[in-house]
Amino acid sequence: MTNSPAAETPRSLRIAHLYPWLLNVAGDGGNLIALERRAAWRGIATEAVAIGPDESPDLTTFDIVLFHGGQDVEMGIVAADLPTKAPSLREAADAGVVIFAVCAGLQLLGHWYRPAVGEPMEGAHVLDLETVGGSQRFMQHAAAEVSLGGQTETVVGFENHSGLTELGLGVRPFGQVIAGAGNNGTDGAEGAIRDNVIATYLHGPVLPKNPWLADMLLRIALERKYGEPVELALLDDAAEVRAHEVALEKALRNRGQRTALNPARFGG
Amino acid sequence: MAATPPRPANRGPRLTPRLFAALVSGKAAGWASRLSGHGGGTSVPGKVARRVEPGILGELLRRRRDPVVAITGSNGKTTTARLTAALLRGEGMGVLTNAAGANLIQGVTSLAVESADLRGRLPAGVLLIEVDEATLPRVQGEIGLGVLLVTDLFRDQLDRYGELYAVANAIDGVASGLASEAMLIVNADDPLVSTIGGEREGRRLTFGFDLGHSTDRITRAADTIRCPVCRSDLRYRAIYLSHLGDYACTNCDFHRPPLDVAVTEIEVVGLTETRMTLRLPGGELRLSVPQAGLHIGYNTAAAVAILVGLEMAMPHAVAALAGVGPAFGRLETIEAGDRQVVLAFAKNPTSFNTTLRTLAGEGEPRNLLLALSNTLVDGEDFAWLWDVDFEASVPAMQRVIVSGTRADELANRLKYAGLDPERIETVDSLPAALDRGLETAPRGARLTVVAGYTPTIEIREAMHQRGWVGRFWETEA
Repeated sequence: MTNSPAAETPRSLRIAHLYPWLLNVAGDGGNLIALERRAAWRGIATEAVAIGPDESPDLTTFDIVLFHGGQDVEMGIVAADLPTKAPSLREAADAGVVIFAVCAGLQLLGHWYRPAVGEPMEGAHVLDLETVGGSQRFMQHAAAEVSLGGQTETVVGFENHSGLTELGLGVRPFGQVIAGAGNNGTDGAEGAIRDNVIATYLHGPVLPKNPWLADMLLRIALERKYGEPVELALLDDAAEVRAHEVALEKALRNRGQRTALNPARFGG
Repeated sequence: MAATPPRPANRGPRLTPRLFAALVSGKAAGWASRLSGHGGGTSVPGKVARRVEPGILGELLRRRRDPVVAITGSNGKTTTARLTAALLRGEGMGVLTNAAGANLIQGVTSLAVESADLRGRLPAGVLLIEVDEATLPRVQGEIGLGVLLVTDLFRDQLDRYGELYAVANAIDGVASGLASEAMLIVNADDPLVSTIGGEREGRRLTFGFDLGHSTDRITRAADTIRCPVCRSDLRYRAIYLSHLGDYACTNCDFHRPPLDVAVTEIEVVGLTETRMTLRLPGGELRLSVPQAGLHIGYNTAAAVAILVGLEMAMPHAVAALAGVGPAFGRLETIEAGDRQVVLAFAKNPTSFNTTLRTLAGEGEPRNLLLALSNTLVDGEDFAWLWDVDFEASVPAMQRVIVSGTRADELANRLKYAGLDPERIETVDSLPAALDRGLETAPRGARLTVVAGYTPTIEIREAMHQRGWVGRFWETEA
């Protein structure tokens, strides 16, 4: 870091946190904490802006957009408000802004979410995918093999969803299921990616226990913003690596149950 | 208030050979479990008895006339049950109550099996049970409830129960199925809980706070802050604890219902006492409970509401409640040689935040032991740790030991809350973690222990072996 010319001028990132009061159910706020701290530990400033319903800022002015998971009721409120943000989300995605989505965020970045009960919800059409409500809830430790930015790593987390997501041709999976159900419990795909839009079903929260992924998001965002290759300074990740290992061990112990490797068959 | 009405006599069950066999095997399993010294047999007798006769719970209670009082909700079940038991006993009423945390169907069945004699007859008195939210429909399917009280609904072990609204709906279904003469008691300060049984025609009481000023602010741990009717934002006139408060919808006419039992003044004194004034239909009650925290106000109002619901006068309430110290692991102060242990059990962001805030009033926790493990009771997913406001407590922390099977998650969370990893030490075994924690606390100082349910029991057992406390099932009032 010390020899990089970029170190001369302090770098910074603007982070949009979508609907933090609505999509707050599974500790996903930890993703923001992870990005903020890991940036701060390297002298990179962050400014996080909470964006609620009825607000429609220009999302292309942000470097990272976070769109997290929530319960069905809150998801309905978000879906109803989404038209205020969908055009800007699509512009931001086209402009290469890093958009990181989890669970309900993944579902609502797609075309449609059709719950088992109730009206279908229109998504933002940022990702070429559709989700239907399933009759089973996948709740378990999970892991996927993820290739991003020229690197391949194992990403671990906790999945908790009943939606069944099918990917279209306009996206590729975020990862291949190692353990867990992934998008639908059958095809082995986990999450979705296009450009710098990265969506996953993995809670945990996922970034604090996958520091590689957190850093990859920071790196992509910094490289886009400053238009030059970025090498992030190495950190002592002993605590993160330990949390990753424990979660992986738990996921592997679940392997073959309720998973894409052995389609879900557990009762209510 | 009306005098206690005379109660018709209880009758024992029709004793079939199978019921008898179930009773005997359940009791024997309980004795065996206690003799072996493991777990106090809190759920074993019920489990064994149900294997022999699945309908044993209903059979034992079917012809009993004394009321069954069930307490459910995310937080405060055990403390509310203990305060209620004290109030009932204070008025000379018999009470049968399940052990702390033994609130699944096996635990409730254990209570009936262990209380019954060999002909299946239970002693007279109120059957007072704390029931896990997810177990409530099963319990109601087997026994008729005379009083159902809902404490609150917070995100609690989402991985076990699915989502909060689903839990609320399930409880609402149970409430709708109550007999019309049964009493439903709800925490009116919890927007979602206040709607439970709204469609039901039957007896109903509300409790809550009427302080006229806030005692909390909305944090990210708050769960249901939208209108349960129209999903618009709620506006709070006062916020008392997390999302509990005096609210009104910004869009429709949904608002907090009037309170039948209200805490009108409350003062938390150190880590050991809460003083309060309660307004009841019959007048005012000033009292003190030897436990610390705003949540004690809610638990006390709930307990008092149960007696109101049973139409019992409570002239001995002040003395009865003055003797109710903390339940095991609820900010329990334990003398540990030349140091002190404050033991707090925490299971969700709200109980964690409530505990941390009470401790902060005393400049604690300086020396801390945190423990969480993945168990059936504690759940698999501890993502909610990221919703706990550890950031506010980090400046007080001198030394932290993390333990349990999920020490990893605790260590990582604390690191991201801003605690220097040099101050964090992982000790896998809980008894060893307790020793290490006491070692790091200076002589005469306090070691604060905050742990999930299963680790709390294990740590308490370690303290029992050192002669500092009784076994947890021996300490229940």
